Amino acid sequence: MMVNLQEIYRYLGIMGNRPDDATKKLVGECLEELERAAKPRSFSRSFPMSVLPDGSLDFTCFSVKSEDLKKNLKGCEEVILFAATLGAGVDLLLRRYTRLEVSRAVVLQAAAAAMIEAYCDEKNQELRIEAKKRGLFLRPRFSPGYGDFSVSCQRELCRALSAEKTVGIMLTESFMMNPSKSVTAVIGAGREELSCAKSGCEACRKQDCLYRRNEIQ
Amino acid sequence: MGILEEWNSKIMLFDGGMGSLLQERGLLPGELPETWNIVHPDILTEIHREYLDAGCDIVLANTFGANRLKYNEQTQYGLEEIVSAGVRNARKAVEAAGHGWVALDIGPTGRLLKPMGDLDFESAVSIFREIVEIGVREGADLILIETMSDTYELKAAVLAARENSRLPVLATVIFDERGKLLTGATPKAVVALLEGLRVDGLGINCGLGPRQMRPMVEELIRYSSLPVIVNPNAGLPRSEGGKTVYDIGPEEFAEAVGELIELGVSAVGGCCGTTPEHIRLLDQLRRGKKPPVRREKDFTVVTSYASAVEIGKDPVIIGERINPTGKSRFKQALREHNLEYILKEGLTQQDNGAAVLDVNVGLPEIDETAMMREVVMELQSVTELPLQIDTSNAEAMEQALRVYNGKALINSVNGKQEVMDAVFPLVKHYGGVVVALTLDENGIPQTADGRIAIAGKIYREAEKYGISKKDIVIDALCMTISSEPKSALTTLETVRRVREELGGNTILGVSNISFGLPQRENINSAFFAMALQNGLTAAIINPNSQAMMQVYRSYRALAALDEHCKDYIGAYGQTVYPGNAVQAKEQMQAEKILSPDDAETGRKRLISSVEKGLKDQAAAAASVLLETEDALELIRTCMIPALDHVGQGFERGTIFLPQLLMSAEAAKAAFEEIRKKMEMSGETGEKRGTIILATVKGDIHDIGKNIVKVLLENYSFEVLDLGKDVSPELIADETEKRKIRLVGLSALMTTTVPSMEETIRLLRVRAPWVRVMVGGAVLTPEYARTIGADAYCRDAMASVKYAEQIFGSSAE
Repeated sequence: MMVNLQEIYRYLGIMGNRPDDATKKLVGECLEELERAAKPRSFSRSFPMSVLPDGSLDFTCFSVKSEDLKKNLKGCEEVILFAATLGAGVDLLLRRYTRLEVSRAVVLQAAAAAMIEAYCDEKNQELRIEAKKRGLFLRPRFSPGYGDFSVSCQRELCRALSAEKTVGIMLTESFMMNPSKSVTAVIGAGREELSCAKSGCEACRKQDCLYRRNEIQ
Repeated sequence: MGILEEWNSKIMLFDGGMGSLLQERGLLPGELPETWNIVHPDILTEIHREYLDAGCDIVLANTFGANRLKYNEQTQYGLEEIVSAGVRNARKAVEAAGHGWVALDIGPTGRLLKPMGDLDFESAVSIFREIVEIGVREGADLILIETMSDTYELKAAVLAARENSRLPVLATVIFDERGKLLTGATPKAVVALLEGLRVDGLGINCGLGPRQMRPMVEELIRYSSLPVIVNPNAGLPRSEGGKTVYDIGPEEFAEAVGELIELGVSAVGGCCGTTPEHIRLLDQLRRGKKPPVRREKDFTVVTSYASAVEIGKDPVIIGERINPTGKSRFKQALREHNLEYILKEGLTQQDNGAAVLDVNVGLPEIDETAMMREVVMELQSVTELPLQIDTSNAEAMEQALRVYNGKALINSVNGKQEVMDAVFPLVKHYGGVVVALTLDENGIPQTADGRIAIAGKIYREAEKYGISKKDIVIDALCMTISSEPKSALTTLETVRRVREELGGNTILGVSNISFGLPQRENINSAFFAMALQNGLTAAIINPNSQAMMQVYRSYRALAALDEHCKDYIGAYGQTVYPGNAVQAKEQMQAEKILSPDDAETGRKRLISSVEKGLKDQAAAAASVLLETEDALELIRTCMIPALDHVGQGFERGTIFLPQLLMSAEAAKAAFEEIRKKMEMSGETGEKRGTIILATVKGDIHDIGKNIVKVLLENYSFEVLDLGKDVSPELIADETEKRKIRLVGLSALMTTTVPSMEETIRLLRVRAPWVRVMVGGAVLTPEYARTIGADAYCRDAMASVKYAEQIFGSSAE
């Protein structure tokens, strides 16, 4: 898995490309430690999708109202529900260093975030190739909490994937995922190949985010 | 004939899947299956009946997902109705069929327990207790706890079942394809835990098909003295047009399960995707087959949530440092409730090679039970090493064993009747491997004969509780050779004879042997080597001692316990840069970088070490400077300027968060040296005021709060850290009680900001004087204002600034 160092620095709030030596060294150590602790797993299942008369999206396993997701899924005939996690071992490290060496915890946190993204991209690419064989093109993945796609949809999404059994993701009452370095997403699949100008960070309407990509220099 | 007697005579057959059969009959996606117990009782009875007619012995009541989190006063059907209807439907089918047993089926709550999740251990026990009570009342014949993916939740469920019923309790877990539970436990660890909790049978279900289960089944059979149950899925699932289908049919399923029966499985059945047809074929297969012969497996295993440590041929190191005896700094940490210090002691020993950590927190002036419970919970949230609960206080022992996530080592029992009467019931109830000291009412025998006799007596008494020899480790006792010249020889003889004559395991608190002598490490390490050669299986030592670990690693290499000398080479194959402050100091002095005579260079060194975030160097520089310089002077001339410099850099955007924190930690290490010096000279550092920090209820990520804590402490504020997922009431109570002037709250998610708002509201009523600063990823200045906070802090430095505004700045 190729973890993007620039992403780690961005999560750490290091603007541009100017991490000092100590930080670089720490990032390297944390990545090594993460490689040992992470046990990545993913699972996905496809569902038919349709738009109901009231404008909400229906995936047969659940339906949801979200304009942003609807825009993302425009022209799609099915969705792939997707879940991935780095596993519980990473959380042990985070808990340990959060208590005892917070500088390392901060870097681990950023490195793990970049690592789960890299893992998702990798799995996403596999799904893309598979879908293409069926004549389908995938839209950028869209997660609960993006735009107006309510984070409470985690519940339905995880249930549809039996995420607890298939990858080991569980939710707290306030919809936080456990293990914390986990991603769930909806990936649209349509007959038409769209070149997506914006995806991920750039597609988000929250312009004043501290971590926003591109606006950094 | 009861079910357990019946089980002795045959391979038991469980039923198959329920969910897919209900879906065929019209259960909608998202509809809760247990509601059908009430809406369609006939369908449930019919399905149970189909399984019974297919030949199964045990039907599972449709109560898998029934718990108060899903069924309560707010839902259409309450828990009581759901569970009783579930058991009744199954009972009806059994009566009509004329054979079979009804199992109360208990699945996971769907929530993860603390510290990983947000469900409290005792809440989990009480959730399971309710189900058990209803099931018992409705006349279930047995309890099956299944599909458990976390040892802690598994333990909660088994305790609830055993404490509230006399029914047989069986437990099966779900492994992933790597043979691990969701939270990391292996089959070996699961067996140790469940045997300790005294279930009547254990095994594996769901997640995988029978073929993929084979390696885990082999492991379960290898380690388990209890009958093994296997309830696989109908192969692996895949999705077809939004529907889940499984990849093997009944014949292939039965064939694969048949192979597992040959391995020595005592009960089989099916899980997801299996049907009455699968079960019918299994019935044909098991008919006429004798159940495997039950044999006691002789493995002494202690576990944590994720790891299993075997005590036997390969000696085990138990770290002794979490213990206040003779350590003033440790005592002080206990008195000040400084858990970080204790956790660090644990992790340092882990880094140095301990396999188990002894935990002793007894101090006359503190509440040992509360402290023991808390330290055990904290340690198991940061380390995967099993713990040894070390206390003579029975209440503390019980509390610790209850919340412990695994099968603990217990230190200790001895030959005194009174002590055995207190300790063995706890071992029986919670499981554990117990250290047994070879002394009794008559004291410590002077001869090996006497100690062997006591060991025998302890074994026999334990047997009465059903505690087998494998769960007892005999402590042959070390007495110092400075007062009794032959004591080492007696100890060694005892160790050897426990192994040879009694076939038991042994343990020693090795360092007692040299009490009263100079250079104790010399004697300790030589004696340790002798004890290992005499068959010692576990040693309570200081793993931070190079000499002791050298003996240990060399012995393992010499005794062919370290394949290819891998561990030995791993430890000594390369020289490492000195990793602690003492060594850093020696090195710097040797290289003439630092000298007490040159304060100016020393100051520069301290400042630059803090700025660069070099922890050991900062501590070393401070320690050298303190030989000649005044502590307060050092704070004024070095620490404050260095911290300010870094803080300003952070605010300007030239220094980033990791550097800021590394500096903060380096400063903390230097402050620790300064504090030591001030204590020796009787000075006390001025604190600028106490601030409460907490992550609000529902929020379990506390990294941001801990960043703020480290910085505030460096700026001489006293921080009372209430932790994460903290209720508004607790925050208000503490604020009111201690008349706190400033509270800092953090929340990570939009979903937890409401509890931040609620906390602020409560604080305004209960402690109207208090100021509240808030921070967290989703907050903005406007948002903070709307929920009634006094200040929004975008980062940790902003919190320091605000605190200085409230309490006055350091310059004053």
